[in-house]
Amino acid sequence: MKAIVSIENLVSQFVLSFWTPVFVGIFLAIVFYALRPRNKALFDAAAKMPLRED
Amino acid sequence: MTNVSAGAKSMTIGEATLWPLFAVLAFLCLIGAGFAHDAPFAFHASLGCAASIAAAFAILNRYYDRPAKLPPQEINGRPNYNLGSIKFASVAAMFWGIAGFAVGLIIASQLAWPALNLDLPWTSFGRLRPLHTSAVIFAFGGNVLIATSFYVVQKTCRTRLAGDLAPWFVVLGYNFFILIAGTGYLLGVTQSKEYAEPEWYADLWLTIVWVTYLLVFLATLVKRKEPHIFVANWFYLAFIVTIAVLHLGNNPALPVSLLGSKSYVAWGGVQDAMFQWWYGHNAVGFFLTAGFLAIMYYFIPKRAERPIYSYRLSIIHFWALIFLYIWAGPHHLHYTALPDWAQTLGMTFSIMLWMPSWGGMINGLMTLSGAWDKLRTDPVLRMLVVSVAFYGMSTFEGPIMAIKVVNSLSHYTDWTIGHVHSGALGWVGFVSFGALYCLVPWAWNRNGLYSLKLVNWHFWIATIGIVLYISAMWVSGILQGLMWRAYTSLGFLEYSFIETVEAMHPFYIIRAAGGALFLIGALIMAFNLWMTVRAGEAEAARAAGRLQPAE
Repeated sequence: MKAIVSIENLVSQFVLSFWTPVFVGIFLAIVFYALRPRNKALFDAAAKMPLRED
Repeated sequence: MTNVSAGAKSMTIGEATLWPLFAVLAFLCLIGAGFAHDAPFAFHASLGCAASIAAAFAILNRYYDRPAKLPPQEINGRPNYNLGSIKFASVAAMFWGIAGFAVGLIIASQLAWPALNLDLPWTSFGRLRPLHTSAVIFAFGGNVLIATSFYVVQKTCRTRLAGDLAPWFVVLGYNFFILIAGTGYLLGVTQSKEYAEPEWYADLWLTIVWVTYLLVFLATLVKRKEPHIFVANWFYLAFIVTIAVLHLGNNPALPVSLLGSKSYVAWGGVQDAMFQWWYGHNAVGFFLTAGFLAIMYYFIPKRAERPIYSYRLSIIHFWALIFLYIWAGPHHLHYTALPDWAQTLGMTFSIMLWMPSWGGMINGLMTLSGAWDKLRTDPVLRMLVVSVAFYGMSTFEGPIMAIKVVNSLSHYTDWTIGHVHSGALGWVGFVSFGALYCLVPWAWNRNGLYSLKLVNWHFWIATIGIVLYISAMWVSGILQGLMWRAYTSLGFLEYSFIETVEAMHPFYIIRAAGGALFLIGALIMAFNLWMTVRAGEAEAARAAGRLQPAE
C-alpha cells in the first residue's frame, strides 16, 4: 500500500514514533505544575476543601 | 432548560421525552419476550417490560405530584443539594453488599464441602462465582461509588447535582443492569469473560446508563461555584471515563440473534485474551482503585477534620496512577501465547506502580497528622485508615506477584485469591464501610450514628475475618504452587492433582470461617445504619440522660 502524505498522517506518525517522550514530557509538565512554589497557596486552600461547611 | 412558568405546570423536556420512550421500550420488550429464542432472554425481556412500565408510570406520577416549579438550585444563598438518588444508592449498596458476601460464603463453603453444590445447575459453583464477584464489585462497590461521587461532586463544587431525572436514571438504571446480570448468571447466560460476563443486551443498557452518569458528573462540574476542581473529582472522573472505554473495548460482540441471549465477541485468540486483561486489570485500577481513592481523599480529611497532608502529592499521585496503570494488564498472561515483550512490559509497569500506590497511601495516612488520637475514639475513622493500610499492603504484594518468576509459582493458585481479597475486603470493603458510616447520617440529616460501639464490633469482627481469609489463602496458595512443581528424583511429578486439592481442604474451611465473620460484621453494620435512619441518636440521647457530667 502506498502511504498518503497528509497533515493528519504526519501528526499520527509523530505520535506513534514519539509517544514515549511526549507522554514523559506531559507528565514532567504536570510535576512542574504541582511543585511550583507559586501554586502553593492554591493547593493549601484546596487541601482544606472537604472541611468547609455550607 | 425547563419551561415552567409561575402558575402553569408543564413537563420538562426530560419528562416529556422519557415517559413515551419507556412506553415504547416496554412494548418492544413485550414483543421480545413473546418471540424470544431462549427462556432466559424471554425472562429478561419480561423484566425489561415490567421495569419500563414502572419507569413510565413513576415519571408521570412524579409529574402530577410535584409542584409547578422544580426544586431551586439554591435556598437562601446556599446550594440545595440533591440527596434522593444518593440515599437510594446507599441502601442498595448495603443490600447488595450483604447479598454478595453471603454468596461468597456459600461458594467458599462449596469448595470445602462440594456437596453444597446441591447437584443443581443454578446453585453450582460455576454460576454462583460470577454472581459473587459481580455483586461485591459492581453492585456493592458500584453503588458506593455512585452514592459518594454524587455527594462529593455536589459538596466540593458547591452546586446542586445536574439534571432532574438523570441522577435517578443513573441509579435505578444501574441497579436494573445488576439485576439482569445477576439473574442471567444463575440461568447460565454469560459471555465467559471474567468480570465482564453480562451478555450483549445488558452491555448495551449499561452503556446508556454509564454515558448518562458521565454527563451528570460533567454537567455538575461545569456549573460549579468553586474555581478549583477538587482532587477527588479528578479520581471520580477518571473512573467514569476509563470504565466507559474499557467496557466498549472489551465487549464488542455479535449477537447470534436479536431475540436470543447468546453472542460472540469480536476479538479472537490471544488478542481477545489481551483485551480481556487490559479490561480486567484496569477494572481493578480504575473501578476498585481510582474510584475508592476519591473516597479516601474526601472522607478521611472530613472525618479526621484535618486538611489533606500534601495536595501536591495528590496531583502527582493522580497523574502517575493514570499514566502507569493502563499498561499493567499483561501480567495476567505470563507464560501464555502473549508475546514475551508484552509480558515484560506488563511486569515492568506493575513494578513502577509501587510508587504512585505508596505515594497515595502515605498521603492518606499522613492526613491523620495531629489527629492520631482520634483512632482511639472513632472506629469509623479507624476503619478508613486501616483500609488505606490494606491498600498499601495489597499494592505491595501485587507488583511482587507480577514479577515473572514469582508469578510462575503464584499463578493459578489460591495466592491470587488471597491477594485479591486483601484488596477487596481490606481496602475496598473497609473504605466503603467507612464512607457509608459517614454518608448515611449526613444524607438523612442525623447528628451521628446510632451506635459507635456497634461500629467497633463490626471493625474487629471483620478485621479478624480478613486476617483468617488472607493468611489461609497465602498458605494454601504457596502450598498448592509448590506441590504442582515438585518432582521426584526420577523426574516424575511427585503429586497428583487430587492430592493438592486434598491438602488445601483445611485452609478452605478457615477461609470460609473468615468470610462468615466478614458477613456478620456487615449484618451488624446494616442494623446500625437502619437504626441510624430510623432512630437517629436514640442510644446516645439515652446514655446522655443516664450519665451526669462530673463536677
